[in-house]
Amino acid sequence: MTIVNHNEKIDTVNVVIDGIEMEVPKGTLVIRAAEQIGIEIPRFCDHPLLTPVAACRACLIEIDGVPKPQPACAQVLSEGMNVRTQRSSEMARIAQEGVMEFLLVNHPLDCPVCDKGGECPLQNQAMTVGRPDSRFEGEKRTFPKPINVNAEILLDRERCVSCARCTRFAEEIAGDASLELLERGAQQQVGTANDEPFDSYFSGNVVQICPVGALTSASYRFRSRPFDLVSVPTTCEHCASGCSLRTDYRRGTVTRRLAWDDPEVNEDWSCDKGRFAFAYLANGRIESPLIRENGELRSASWPEAMHFAAAGLAAAGTSAVLVGGRATVEDAYAYSKFARIVLGTDNLDFRARASSTEEAEFLAAHVAGRKLDVTYTDIETASQVLLIGFEPEDESPILFLRLRKGVKRGVSVHTVGPLYSLGSEKLSAHWVKAKAGSEAHAISGLDSEIVGALDSNSIIFVGERAAASPGALSAVSRLGSQTGARIAWVPRRAGERGALDAGAIAGLLPGGRPISDPTARSEVAQAWNIDADSLPNVGLTGTELVTAIKQGSTSALVIAGVDPSDLPNGDELIAGIENADFVVALENHHSEITQRASVVFPVAVVTEKSGSFMNWEGRSKPFSAAFREALTLTDAGVLSMLASAMNVQLNGDTRALRKELNSLVPWSGPRTDVNNHEVHAPAGTTLATWRLLIDSGVMQEGEPHLAATARPSVVAVSAAMFEQLGKPEVITVTGPKGSITLPTQVAEVSNESVWLPMNSPESHIYAQLGCGYGQAVTVKGGAA
Amino acid sequence: MITESTRIKMRELAGRYPNPRSALLPMLHLVQAEQDEVTTEGIAACAQELEITQAEVTAVATFYTMYKHSPVGKHHIGVCINTLCGLLGGDAVYDRVAERLGATHNGPSADGNFWLERIECQAACTHAPVMTVDWEFMDDVTPQSAVDVIDKLAAGEEVWSTRGPMIRDFQATEHTLAMAEDDLATIGNCVDEKMLAGLKIAKSGAQQ
Ligand code: SF4
Ligand code: SF4
Ligand code: FES
Ligand code: FES
Repeated sequence: MTIVNHNEKIDTVNVVIDGIEMEVPKGTLVIRAAEQIGIEIPRFCDHPLLTPVAACRACLIEIDGVPKPQPACAQVLSEGMNVRTQRSSEMARIAQEGVMEFLLVNHPLDCPVCDKGGECPLQNQAMTVGRPDSRFEGEKRTFPKPINVNAEILLDRERCVSCARCTRFAEEIAGDASLELLERGAQQQVGTANDEPFDSYFSGNVVQICPVGALTSASYRFRSRPFDLVSVPTTCEHCASGCSLRTDYRRGTVTRRLAWDDPEVNEDWSCDKGRFAFAYLANGRIESPLIRENGELRSASWPEAMHFAAAGLAAAGTSAVLVGGRATVEDAYAYSKFARIVLGTDNLDFRARASSTEEAEFLAAHVAGRKLDVTYTDIETASQVLLIGFEPEDESPILFLRLRKGVKRGVSVHTVGPLYSLGSEKLSAHWVKAKAGSEAHAISGLDSEIVGALDSNSIIFVGERAAASPGALSAVSRLGSQTGARIAWVPRRAGERGALDAGAIAGLLPGGRPISDPTARSEVAQAWNIDADSLPNVGLTGTELVTAIKQGSTSALVIAGVDPSDLPNGDELIAGIENADFVVALENHHSEITQRASVVFPVAVVTEKSGSFMNWEGRSKPFSAAFREALTLTDAGVLSMLASAMNVQLNGDTRALRKELNSLVPWSGPRTDVNNHEVHAPAGTTLATWRLLIDSGVMQEGEPHLAATARPSVVAVSAAMFEQLGKPEVITVTGPKGSITLPTQVAEVSNESVWLPMNSPESHIYAQLGCGYGQAVTVKGGAA
Repeated sequence: MITESTRIKMRELAGRYPNPRSALLPMLHLVQAEQDEVTTEGIAACAQELEITQAEVTAVATFYTMYKHSPVGKHHIGVCINTLCGLLGGDAVYDRVAERLGATHNGPSADGNFWLERIECQAACTHAPVMTVDWEFMDDVTPQSAVDVIDKLAAGEEVWSTRGPMIRDFQATEHTLAMAEDDLATIGNCVDEKMLAGLKIAKSGAQQ
């Protein structure tokens, strides 16, 4: 527990700005204090989240007793300081005008064709504090335009005002110092090294913070004028970080997405996936319901498809519901209800990935219904942070940025796993080396120094991969209770945390209520207006559920947002679906599932509906539809229609669902413990793998520039293994199903594991190797 | 190619500082000593040795004018054109030298053997106008004496700095700069009466 002393006295200073007396905390910058009283001082290089550099000189102000104008963005207020801005000082006004004139000397007249035109700080401030006419008659500096700093970001050097926002962002925030100010004097320019592009998962942020149109993105460049766009706040659907974004659209098409300011969550940033991966929203959508007739799918009207689905489900035997980790909280809640009320089954899971019973127990014990136990802000003041089965830069990039912020403030990070990644380096993390699959051993064997320093102010972050490492989650659970360290589970997909709280998993009703607990059952039954006895008993999850589907003991399926290739036993699922009596698919794009479903209902994508995602903190992040006029139905809407076709009333309205779910306050009754699960890491070399942030994910389709910024597919091995294999240029990794051969990368990898990306070009682990994280593989130098 | 022996020297340089990246400036001179310019390969080597990005190295290598990004040739010729040298004929010296070499500011001679650069005050105003050859002083030059020096260098004859060691070549100088070898510092007459005149006046209090 953190003890916050609200009586703590903050040191302040008394100052005057433009004749207005103020008391501000010691250390406040002139520019920030002025903002508080509504005085806007012009600025380019200033950014509240970057360290001041006073590079552009646009913000010059006068201070009584100081002979020369001073930059307001770097000037700290001291007791008694009397500041005059352009509003009350002729010196400041002339100084600002002069700087503006100099900045415009080399600035091209690109405004009519520049992406920034209409939302450009240089345009705006040139109008407010600049001279009406230019006195410059020489030739302007020009550059061949534009250059790529990476595949997605372009640079028009002549537009740059050398504010160093982009370069500071790259170095300070992202930790990717591959964008720099090069040359000097009039030739000073932003650029990269000849051989290395600006390699960053966060590169799009520089486009957004560039105060001029020098940095643009390949995906938006020349596409639109800002004043022709409609902007809607939204929540990113790509991961469980829960970023606030802004979607800009024009004539029914999304043209770009920006990071939106959310100090509690993503501050001002987003990752490149959230920013650039939106083409999927429009491309290749399923447009009408489809029903299977004589083995072929044909389009059908909604009523026809509904009756077909209702009859099919009613006639089939035991059923199950699989909802992938992408649903909104409200939609997941609708699936949770539909399964229990309409289908009368608890066979239900949202984990369309490697999962385990141990994980289900862990989630029930430590995660479900626990909101804001650990927050982003907590990271900044944590005593220690442990990362287990979790690669923040790839799997929760905004959490990664907050960790970096914490590290800068002195937080120490330990990462338990088989690879010391680039991300670990950028967190200056301490590596607790573990063979993939034997994390449990590493956790129980943690240095007494680390364990001794764990306290209630420490945070243990566990990723979805921990589920694939037997015993890891029970070891985490023990470590937590032994030390008092707080545990936070960070799934990758945006919908998983919400689906858990909505009860979209067997054994758990909404709010973390055990379905086996009579009190829990009656609470939920009351909210649902049903008889508690009609609630099903504990059903199957994960692997067991998929096996049941395969074996036909579960013969009807409602499935949504699941891609079998994400599952270690995806082949079983496909076989099961082929044999099932009846399969209802809710999807927005065709997939292996829709190709085999009995009936397919198209559903809305995030731009077409309102809803909310719950991020890893358990924070609700609501959003509304960008396209209100869209005619698509939410998953909940489709389920509601289907229910009524089956003679059950189920409200499909998003708001009503949210309200009802919120009324089911988190469970305060007894929780089941995590059993002690056995550790069984296979002998020999094991597979280490995870999904890179930018990879072959289906929601990244249609944005080739983004795809081109992906990290290359390689096999990473330790130096020792590299020697052993005879220093090969390529390495072949073989699993039960087949092999993958990729270029070698020597890295800090456990000698007993080999790493390759899970779902990147030429490296699709489940499909090609037929095994997953922590399982035995053979490694050989050279091609297969 | 950046040889292993250069790599070893780079590591030695990095070891001289509490924060290894402080060694970047001498390391870049070392690259020039080996490759006659700062090559992309040299940048990569510095970045690798110091565990910083190539962009960070490039930023430094392009900021400082002593680092060149195409081959310098055998000798670097600098002609000071700042106030004192300029007034005493530096501009004329520069023009003649440029004509002799067929070079423009900060570029190679027509034959690629020299590199010409207008340089800023070298704190050698006592002997203005000055020219530098591989950063060694040629004091009190005239357009003719400057061109004579270049002719001699071009002919491979021995040339001595007017107050320092014998001219070797650009790469040798770069090595000296990189490793801070000071065995050349004592050769020649580094300080003469003219240079000390001002100091003497100051000490005598005469300026009051
Ligand atoms: S490119 Fe933009 S953000 Fe970067 S220094 Fe130039 S003006 Fe500033
Ligand atoms: S960090 Fe996650 S939520 Fe944020 S923009 Fe990226 S994918 Fe979206
Ligand atoms: S905003 Fe103050 S110097 Fe740039
Ligand atoms: S002006 Fe040339 S050395 Fe000083």
